[in-house]
Amino acid sequence: MQLAEYRTSRWQDLRRQTGIVLAYFAQFLKMRLAYRVDFLVDLGANLFAIGVQLATLGVLFSKVPALKGWSFESVLFIYGFSLLPLGLFNLISINLYRFAERYIAEGNLDRVLLRPVNPLAQVLCESFNMSGLNELLLGTGVMIYAANQLELAVGPLDILVLLVLVPSAAVIYASVFLMVTAVSFWHEDRMGLAPPIYNVIRFARYPLTIYGKGVQIFLMFVLPFAWVAYMPATWFVGDAEQTRWALLTPLVAVLFGGLAMMVWRAGLRRYESTGN
Amino acid sequence: MAPLITVQRLTKDYHLTDRREGVLGGMVDLVRPQKRMLRAVDDVSFTIDPGEMVGYIGANGAGKSTTIKMLTGILTPTSGEVRVGGLVPYRQRQSYTRHIGVVFGQRTQLWWDLAVVESFRLLQRIYEVPEARYREQMTFFNELLGIDEFLHQPVRKLSLGQRMRCDLAAALLHEPRVLFLDEPTIGLDVVAKENVRGFLRQAREQLGVTVILTTHDLTDIEQLCRRIIIIDHGKVMYNGLLEDLRRGPGHKLRLCLDLAEPVAPAELQAACAHLPVEWAETEGADRTPVLRHCALFSRSETNAATILAAVLAAHRLRDMALTEPAIEDVVRRIYREGLVPAPEALG
Ligand SMILES: Nc1ncnc2c1ncn2[C@@H]1O[C@H](COP(=O)(O)OP(=O)(O)O)[C@@H](O)[C@H]1O
Ligand SMILES: [Mg+2]
Repeated sequence: MQLAEYRTSRWQDLRRQTGIVLAYFAQFLKMRLAYRVDFLVDLGANLFAIGVQLATLGVLFSKVPALKGWSFESVLFIYGFSLLPLGLFNLISINLYRFAERYIAEGNLDRVLLRPVNPLAQVLCESFNMSGLNELLLGTGVMIYAANQLELAVGPLDILVLLVLVPSAAVIYASVFLMVTAVSFWHEDRMGLAPPIYNVIRFARYPLTIYGKGVQIFLMFVLPFAWVAYMPATWFVGDAEQTRWALLTPLVAVLFGGLAMMVWRAGLRRYESTGN
Repeated sequence: MAPLITVQRLTKDYHLTDRREGVLGGMVDLVRPQKRMLRAVDDVSFTIDPGEMVGYIGANGAGKSTTIKMLTGILTPTSGEVRVGGLVPYRQRQSYTRHIGVVFGQRTQLWWDLAVVESFRLLQRIYEVPEARYREQMTFFNELLGIDEFLHQPVRKLSLGQRMRCDLAAALLHEPRVLFLDEPTIGLDVVAKENVRGFLRQAREQLGVTVILTTHDLTDIEQLCRRIIIIDHGKVMYNGLLEDLRRGPGHKLRLCLDLAEPVAPAELQAACAHLPVEWAETEGADRTPVLRHCALFSRSETNAATILAAVLAAHRLRDMALTEPAIEDVVRRIYREGLVPAPEALG
């Protein structure tokens, strides 16, 4: 007896899986809304967090009017830009942080692997972190403010580029943390790799040129956080030379994304589940 | 008939890290972890035909769950191969998982925080079950499992028995060709176990699904499976019909005789000296006349009629009883004595 292989066009399958992801999201929202008080408390906390971040920013930049030839407003723009992909990434990445605990140690990955849906999509979409919306809001606000101050002429092409670069940058974040997460397939001891790496993101919010050559190379090719803010943002605030580099961001996303998927897949083959 | 499931020389090693004792040991562990391998499944081969319901039996830690996890594509084997209907589970996961249903007695496959019905709706979407079919299936499940009463409860609030009923329904919603059940009756009370078994019988008849069932509750097996595979320490010890196992050599039936007058065991034994019979519980007292005597014999060597004839030639009989060995004893004997050659019929 033969079992049929599932054959369908990539497009069809993408549509099916997207539908499932949206259904997961709807379930998540429903659950959150069921605890209405929690939801309101969260909302309040989020607004407060945004206020604090804005105030910090104001203090920070009132002391540093310009950095190595970068105007205050340009730096602000890069900072604002950096929050957009970070927000997107934070929205869906919460299960990456608890992956070792929840999915490997507790064996929840078993359930995920038994469903005809991409396992990574399932893991990412089984929970959302709504505070990612903070960064999206804050980032958009800061960027619009800085763009106004800089009197940037923003045309339809720029918007299009933004819509390509932001998701690309989010993919770069996700790739780095996916690789870090996949390490837990080999090392059951949860090595606290993610928090220090998360801290490096902070360096990436400033113009890359303020760092020494070594740091620059490191941030471009090893921990590619140069590509999550500075590089793509130069499309808007850089000189002609830098602007050309900005468009390499999607390519970097594809490269690191592919690498991360290879590591992830190797990890899945290595997965040992749990005894009882 | 071509087999549906073919398992060839399947082996799985786990990586283990041993922990040293104490704080100092913990620090040494960080630098130099003590690694070793554990072979949980060792060179296992078997085939399963479409429509069969096969029992996969073994003590705790024998390797049952590990085998199931490779058959369902969760684990990639260390070596060897699994093919189910031409698909390789751990390589063609997205195609394969559409055709199978899985229930782990130890852990639910449903979403812990969602109401049962929400879980079913998500599954409907994932497996693309048409609405009409979904309703038919839910009616069928409700008739047999009575799941309607807790359809709107979150899974985490269900009792173990209720949860198991939901898991069974969820595993069959998309009409899989193969159903894998890993200890489906574990922790259930007698009534709940009976329900699960009844449902499995019905599901197999009505849906025609092929079933592999692991258990260490041998009542499950007696009631559900004709064929069993016994494993111990990751190796197949027996693969054949339950019936054949009972008829096999070295496998003793018990014939108990109640005589009309007390007779010394030695005397009775003398009457049957020419027969391959063992007498139970007579050591040390073989001179004292008693009424009850029990003979152990193997079907392949003699039979009850022959023994009776020999006894009746010298003594008067009042009553008698013939008992099949309990399946527990059969399995225990296999564990003790090792491999049993598979009956020719299955070759
Ligand atoms: N994820 C795992 N990691 C390491 N060892 C495991 C794991 N799962 C099972 N084992 C070990 O492998 C052996 C077989 O386990 P298992 O397949 O669960 O047996 P069973 O289901 O028959 O009880 C046991 O010794 C068990 O401790
Ligand atoms: Mg088990």
